[in-house]
Amino acid sequence: MPEFPPRREDTPTFPLPHIEHTPPSRISDHPEFHSLRRAQRRFGIRATILSVGGFLLYVLLSFFAPLVMNQPLFGRLTIGLVLGLGQFVVMGVTSWCYVRHMRTRVDPLAHGLRTRLQEDENRRTRQTAAQHEAGQLFQQGSRGFRTW
Amino acid sequence: MVTVAAIDDSSLQLTFVLFLTVVVVTLFTALLTAPQRDEISEFYLGNRAMSPLRNGLAMCGDYLSAATLLGSTGLVALTGYDGLMYLGGTTVAWMMVLLLIAEPLHRTGKFTLGDTIALRLPRQQRPVRLALSVCILAIATLYLVAQLVGSVALLTQFTGAPSATTRTVCVVVIGAFVILYASLGGMPGATVVQIIKAVMLVVGVLFTAGWVLHRYDWNPNALLTAAAERSGNGVQFLEPGLRYGGTVSNKLDFISLELAIVLGLAALPHVLMRLLAPRSSGTLRSSVLWAIGLVGAVCFGAGILGLGATALVGQDTIVGTDRTGNASVLLLAHELGGSLLTALLTCLAYLTLLAVAVGLTLAAASSLAHDLYGEVIRKGKASETEELTVARLSGAVIGVLGILLALVAWGANTATLAFLAFAMAASAILPTIVYTLFWRRFSAKGALLSLYGGLACSVLLVVFSPVVSATAASIYPDADFAWFPLQNPGIVSIPAGFFLGWLGTVRDRSRPEESSAHEEFEVRMLVGADD
Repeated sequence: MPEFPPRREDTPTFPLPHIEHTPPSRISDHPEFHSLRRAQRRFGIRATILSVGGFLLYVLLSFFAPLVMNQPLFGRLTIGLVLGLGQFVVMGVTSWCYVRHMRTRVDPLAHGLRTRLQEDENRRTRQTAAQHEAGQLFQQGSRGFRTW
Repeated sequence: MVTVAAIDDSSLQLTFVLFLTVVVVTLFTALLTAPQRDEISEFYLGNRAMSPLRNGLAMCGDYLSAATLLGSTGLVALTGYDGLMYLGGTTVAWMMVLLLIAEPLHRTGKFTLGDTIALRLPRQQRPVRLALSVCILAIATLYLVAQLVGSVALLTQFTGAPSATTRTVCVVVIGAFVILYASLGGMPGATVVQIIKAVMLVVGVLFTAGWVLHRYDWNPNALLTAAAERSGNGVQFLEPGLRYGGTVSNKLDFISLELAIVLGLAALPHVLMRLLAPRSSGTLRSSVLWAIGLVGAVCFGAGILGLGATALVGQDTIVGTDRTGNASVLLLAHELGGSLLTALLTCLAYLTLLAVAVGLTLAAASSLAHDLYGEVIRKGKASETEELTVARLSGAVIGVLGILLALVAWGANTATLAFLAFAMAASAILPTIVYTLFWRRFSAKGALLSLYGGLACSVLLVVFSPVVSATAASIYPDADFAWFPLQNPGIVSIPAGFFLGWLGTVRDRSRPEESSAHEEFEVRMLVGADD
């Protein structure tokens, strides 16, 4: 039994998708899993460096290169103020790229692996106990939430 | 501190009526939507089937406090360019949440941050959960005190320096509302307040910003020119360095503050709790995008409000009313729309601090009940009803604690307290989150060292900083033990937190966690178990 606190005996009236137990499986050896990890992590780190690092660079520049930042562009707008507005644009573009990257590169991989994981799990549970699976299916259906 | 009343009496009465109406309506809704069954999941996470827009509004509501609405706007009004950089940092902070933290944390999380870490470090989860509760309690209480102190500061704008009785009544009434919302309403109740507040905030700020721009025929250049003229600093107003220029320690202070703002958000307990609320990670992604858009819009609008306050009211009046600039939004509102707009914005400010305080109390209460009581004291054997009772009680206890501390520290500066909370969160909690998610070797000893060490480091640096002693604005102006020159400890304590986490892990000689634990964690983090 893995040590992550098991679901308590009195909880199952309410399904908690997050703590559905993932059986220790060899899915982590799968090449697709590695490319998924790489795709997600590499983009996340690069984009963070671009947006957050870019902002901190802007702050540094404002203090240590004021002559550059104070050059007027049009009217009262200086390079510094325009770069400041540019931060909002960078953020918008980064978010858009992130969503596109996740949708095209990461989500399909994750979905494929999830299906595989579920198949493995189903096979295993079918072998051990058929009624257990039925119980889980029942839980999936019984969600009681008032919407407002 | 202000000595004269900034704004006339009639708008205070109007504010009172408006605020009471909003509070009564939201309290009613909150109680209607409160958890009916004794289920901890509903109390901690609320309605998990909400649309991304509603979630995004709730996140925005959790994040933007009165410090942003009044404090940052005031800074823009007083210092121009430097103040605008604050607002930029406030928005940029969300990028890290979106890009690195949100989805991995959501896939591996359950109710609290402690659950994520327990999944990763199952064998030694109890000491880590204990450390995490201590950190969350410290951060949430400090931030809660900042909000309650803010309510006194806001009242000061109307009545001049309040008498001890007025102060006490104000803090106790707001604190009592906070306890009611958090303990009875739980997360569903808090969500109602957050959404109503966020809608009002976005509409109110953008509307007023539009009004300001309309005064200048939608010509930003005219606004900038007028602001520079009436700022008393001329063109310098639109150049960096007005507040944090000059000495190197001043510049370092600002960089330290920006670091705390940008990195602290991803570790604020109530924001983290909000990230776990949506059911699927797809919804979470859209929710965070909404939140970024809304926060960006509000910060943009707040920048215009600050510039508009200087341009229309003039810096002399703003400084004459309140040295910290907190009054600038209200003075601007008075100039633009008379008593009615002033009352609306004041009501908005009260609602803002009330809502943030509710989120914080709830986050601290759930950490105490779930991590400390459920897993450390009862070792996972507590029943749901029991845990829920503890959560409600700890909500009340934290609220009372906040009220008492706020009554003692009522003269402190809201924005300073809030940014200290940010710095503490970034130094104590962020290293553990980042290492847990992205570092295979990370061990429990590293987690403990970075949690306690980061917290201690940031607190000690604050105690020995000009915030506490040596300057006229500090808590003990007469004493002088401030050997740390910066107001904000972030630039030292955040790297220290990361370093301690690394050190603890590298020096950890005990039996490492089974590699299967990390493998399982990584599968869950990347593949997920739902949607």
